[in-house]
Order: sequence, then C-alpha cells, then structure tokens
Amino acid sequence: MKLRHHSHQSGFTLAEIMMAMAIAVVIFAAIITASLAMQKSFNAVDHYFATHVQQVRIIDYLNRDVKRALICTTSADHQTVTLTIPKYIIQSGDAEAVSNPSLVGAMRSPTLSTTTSLVNYGTTTSTVVYSINGASILRTEDGLVTTIASSTDQLIPTDADTELINTEYSTMAVTFHPIFTSGNVADERTGTTVFSLAYLRNKRRG
Amino acid sequence: MKVASTPNERGNVLLCAICTIFIISLIAANVLLNCTARYNQASNQVRSWNEALYAAESGADMAFAEIRKTLPGASPSPSPWTGWAPSGTTYVSPVTGTASLPWTFGSDNLQARTVVETCYFDSSGVFHLGANPTGAWPWYRIRSKGTSPLQGLKRTGMDDRLSNGNRFVANGSTRGDGDTLLRKIDFNYDHFIATYGPNGDGTGKALQAVNAPQIARRIELIVGAVTPFGAAVEVTTSFDGPGSAGLIDSFNSNNGAYYFAANNPSDPHYADSHSGSVAVNSPTFFMHQGPIWGDVSTNGGNVLPSNLIHGVIDNSVPLDIKPFDMPSLPMPQPSPVAFNSNTTITPASPGSVSAPTTYQVSSWSKSVTFNQSGSAQTYVAVHVTSDFTGQVTVNTGVHVQVYFDGNMSVKARDLVNNTNLAANMQFYGIKPTDPNTTQTIAIASPGNFVGTFYAPSAAISFTGNPDITGSIVGKSYSGNGNTSLHYDRALDNIGEPVDYRVASYVEDIR
Repeated sequence: MKLRHHSHQSGFTLAEIMMAMAIAVVIFAAIITASLAMQKSFNAVDHYFATHVQQVRIIDYLNRDVKRALICTTSADHQTVTLTIPKYIIQSGDAEAVSNPSLVGAMRSPTLSTTTSLVNYGTTTSTVVYSINGASILRTEDGLVTTIASSTDQLIPTDADTELINTEYSTMAVTFHPIFTSGNVADERTGTTVFSLAYLRNKRRG
Repeated sequence: MKVASTPNERGNVLLCAICTIFIISLIAANVLLNCTARYNQASNQVRSWNEALYAAESGADMAFAEIRKTLPGASPSPSPWTGWAPSGTTYVSPVTGTASLPWTFGSDNLQARTVVETCYFDSSGVFHLGANPTGAWPWYRIRSKGTSPLQGLKRTGMDDRLSNGNRFVANGSTRGDGDTLLRKIDFNYDHFIATYGPNGDGTGKALQAVNAPQIARRIELIVGAVTPFGAAVEVTTSFDGPGSAGLIDSFNSNNGAYYFAANNPSDPHYADSHSGSVAVNSPTFFMHQGPIWGDVSTNGGNVLPSNLIHGVIDNSVPLDIKPFDMPSLPMPQPSPVAFNSNTTITPASPGSVSAPTTYQVSSWSKSVTFNQSGSAQTYVAVHVTSDFTGQVTVNTGVHVQVYFDGNMSVKARDLVNNTNLAANMQFYGIKPTDPNTTQTIAIASPGNFVGTFYAPSAAISFTGNPDITGSIVGKSYSGNGNTSLHYDRALDNIGEPVDYRVASYVEDIR
C-alpha cells in the first residue's frame, strides 16, 4: 500500500507557537482585567444604588414623621432630630391598654383641651428621635429602636427646622461618600445629596 | 488507508469567543438585573408611596372645601355636599362618578376615598359623633384614604443586601425589613383590611384581594371653626404700636384674672402670656418702644428680630379678613328703637347664644345698662343703624353683642364691662355700603376697656393710655400712645366662625 502525500499537513514551528501563546496571554489578560473591572464597577454601582435607596428611606421616614408631628427640634449639629407626635394608636403599656388589653392597636378618639383648645389624642405624646450611631441611622420611638439605614459609605443626614407663625418646616439632606471616587471627596459627597423639605401639618406647639 | 483532509480547524477559537461573550453577558445581566431591581424600588415604590399620601390629602382638601361652603354667609353653587353620599351627619365621597367608585385623578390613576363625619366636643372635651345638641358650630372628622397603583415589577426591595447583608430587625411586631417596614405594599391582598378591618377599628377583617399591586395611606383630620378673635390684633392694612409705656401680651380668663406674667417662666400662667400676637396683611408694620409678647406676621413686611418682640416673626403670611355683613338675628323687640336717653334693659327672657334678645336702634348716644334676666345667663344683641357715641354697661351674667353701621367715638370709660370677660362685650362694625369708605373707631382716655372689636372695614385707634383686655380685628390699628392690650386666650372659641381650620392631622401608619 502506498500512502498518499498530504502536502498541507505541516506542524507549527516553535516561533509560531511562542507567538500564538503570547497573543493568547495578552487576550486572556485583557479578558480577565476587563472582567475584574466590570465586577468592580458593578460592585460600585450596586453600592451606590443600595446606599441611595437608604438615603431615600431616611428622607421618607423623616418626611412622614415631620408631617404628622406637633413639634420638631433639631440639635445644634443638625444630626439629631426630635419629634413630638400624637399617639393616634393605642399601644401596649398605654393607660387604656392596661385596663383593657384588647384595645392595643385601636385608634383613639380625639379630645379637646378645655384650657388650651387644642385637639389631642390621649394624654401623652410619642417622642421620636432620629440619630446617628456609627454607620447606622436610628429611629427611636418611645425607647424602641429601629435601624432605618446602615451603610459603610458614611451616610450623613442633616436636618434643620425653621419655625413660622403657625407651623414650621424641616429641611433634610442626606449625603454619602461613594466607594469609587476621583480624589475630591467633598465633591463626591456633594454629588450624592438627596434633599427634601416638609412642613408640619399640625399647628406648631413648641 | 487514506486520511481525509481537514483544511479549516478553527472550532476552538469560536468556542473561546462564545465563552468570553457568555461570561461578559452574565456579568452584564447581573448588573442589569440588580440595577432594575434597585430602580424598581427606588423609583416606582417610592413614588407610589408618596403619591398615595398626595391622593389622601387631595381627598381631605376636597372635603375641606365642602365644609367651608357651610360657613355663615356663604352661598356656594353647587351647594355643600353636592354629589356626596350623605348618611345622617356623615358624608362619603365621591362627588363624581358612580357611588361605588372612588375619585380617580392624576396620570397615575390615584384614588381617594373620603368620609366626613360631623362631630363635637362636650364641655369636658370628650369627642362625640353627630350634631352638637347645644346648637354650637360643628366640628368635622375627615378620614381620607389615598391609593396609588404600583407601577413596574411585582417585587419587594433588596433590603437583605443592604448593610453588608445584615437584615434589619425593627421590633417584635415587624412585618418586614427595611423598606417594607416603611412602605407597606399590597401585592395580592389589602393588608390593612385583613389586619385591622376596613375602618381600622378591628371589625370586618377580611382577606380582600387587590386588582393590582398598590400602596394605600390613610390620614385623619379634625376640622374646627375659626372664630374671629384668634390673636391680639389682626388688621389688613397697617399696624402702629405699642408705645413706650404700653405692651401687648396675653392671659387666659379661664385660668383667672389678668396679671403680667410674660417675663417669669416659673409663673403658672406664663404659658398663657405669650399669645399677644399681631398679624398684618400688608408690609406696613410700625413698631414703637413697647414690647409684644407674641408672634408677629406681615404679608411682605420687613420686621426684624428685636428684643421687643418675644415670639416668632414671619413676613410672608397672608391674612384673609372679609368685610363683615350684618348677620341674621331674631326679630328685634318693638322698643326701644333709639337710645337717646339713659336706658336700663332687662330682657324678659334670657335668650341664647344662637337666639339672643335683639334690639334695633337708630341711634345710641346715651348710657344703656344691660341687666340679667332673672338668674339665667342672658344674651342680648343690638343693631345700631348709625354711629355709636354713647355709653354701655354690661352687668354680671349678661352677654352683649353690638352691631353698628356707622362710626364709633367714645372714651374707654364709656364701655363698662362688669363681667370682666371680654367675650361678654363684643362690638361688630358692619361694612359700609360704599366699599371705598373706611369706618372709624376711636377710643380715647381716660379709662380701661374689657371687650372685643371685629370691624374689618374700620380704622381703629386708641389714644392716651387705655388698658384694653380682649382682641382687635380691623382694617388698621393705631395704639402708639401708652395703650396696653391684653389678649384673652379664652376668646379663641368665641363668636361666629369666619372660616374653618385643620385642628389636627394624624396619619394611620399601620
């Protein structure tokens, strides 16, 4: 038997193989670098969105409570807000609930003060405090603590209240420091500002 | 044996390319998925949650507009509660559409459902539904529910990924974490009806499916009448005063007679002493050397903080005081028809707040004394169709309202109120026929005065050093001598309503 000669079946030279491997290394290095960069970028965007969601949550919590408050007081450093809120819902431990536990969760009827002519819900009010504790933003209602936001991105809410004749308004701004920055930290933080303003719906009592 | 030729062996390159594209696509898809979820949460859910409150407040605003149509002298068209579903003293929206459908408005199809209940507070301040049996002006309770359809994907948030994976645990009764604790979304069932019942009172709980994901928010407003005397001074054009030896402060006659307590925080009446407020619906506010122990508001003025104003200053507060029309009163007594000689009036019957014993006189130039009818509290109204230049004495147990068409010029000692309660001697200046005419009310020394003036068309001036206890509402106020004015906080509930106000606002955040 005679084997036919295949003129095109030739191997690679060492130089060709070296060249091919070099090109392959460059290509794979580019792919890996791109993948890492994309992963890092994704991580940064994910962080940004996650923190932004928390920004909005802080604003919404504050807005909700300011609107239904009777008094809004901001600390000198603008980072602690104290609100006095009507006790619309009977809570465990309230006088009515002690005598009749089934009333827990029920709505109160209003009363009219014969001395001040003010409409009240119950004889006491709730005190809600917004404060910062480390990386967490806390909402404390009558001693009950809720962490409403927490981030390693240095979330900082600031609040100021301005008293008017019958009402007052609270201005709120929440910023954070994104994990990817271009050097100017102050500008990066400023660029994340979420701002809101809310008026007391009730007549200001303090 | 013959081996076939394979001239194009490039499969591994294609495979590598596909794998690379696949990996990069996976990363991109992951980014996209997460961004979409974040957008869904940060945009749609937040928007719907806020819009639900806008809807609830819109429903309350529409209810408030209906309530204002019931004010004395209002003759709105259509009449109050047109289109609402009345049931006794309760009114249920809508005003448009069919009874089974709530208001729908806005580009996002927001819905509002509002219930207005007539109510009152008894003498102890206890709340009751229904009309006040005493005939006093009603209060209203507005309960409004706003609903916003939730756009976008039917997803909860990504709270578990926040805080580096630490889930938020609010308290023992939490229904969720993070955002779901704040924004209670009804994806399949109305959680409020299921947990608290449709009215939130625990009755009628049911598992009620929702047509589409939605967010609902509920508010409750208590609406009460605005009475004429809500501040020490309310004027539309200008304020001038108080002088160096004068002051404006307040007290509450329900808690005892007046004495100066405004500079003593430990005084038990200190809290009542800082309501001597002045409101001007113009920029014109002239301050002299006397202190004001209360708030100051102007409409476009430039009042600056000073050690003479012991309250809040606000230069952007519009004040609406409408000219005062003669109210409808019971038929007047046949006599007297003029107070041209000294007269003593002892009504045959005591009358009531809503039906006082009424007199209409063509002039009042002499002294008139009003006595109690027996031992009952006695209510008297006098309509003077010309100027008031006489004297009046109101004795214990008598409540007098004087309506005058012309001007008034007297000395403070001519206005004797032996009840020592400002609410018991009220003067009302009726608007002139010619709207360009300004009434004048001039009170001079000597003497003091306990009473009120409600004369939106009048220039009211005090000269000398009268000590006034009560409240002044007019076109302008001048008290730049040594006049002192002590606002009585008990006046806050006195007189016919001139408007309604939201006395309380709460949100049911359950």
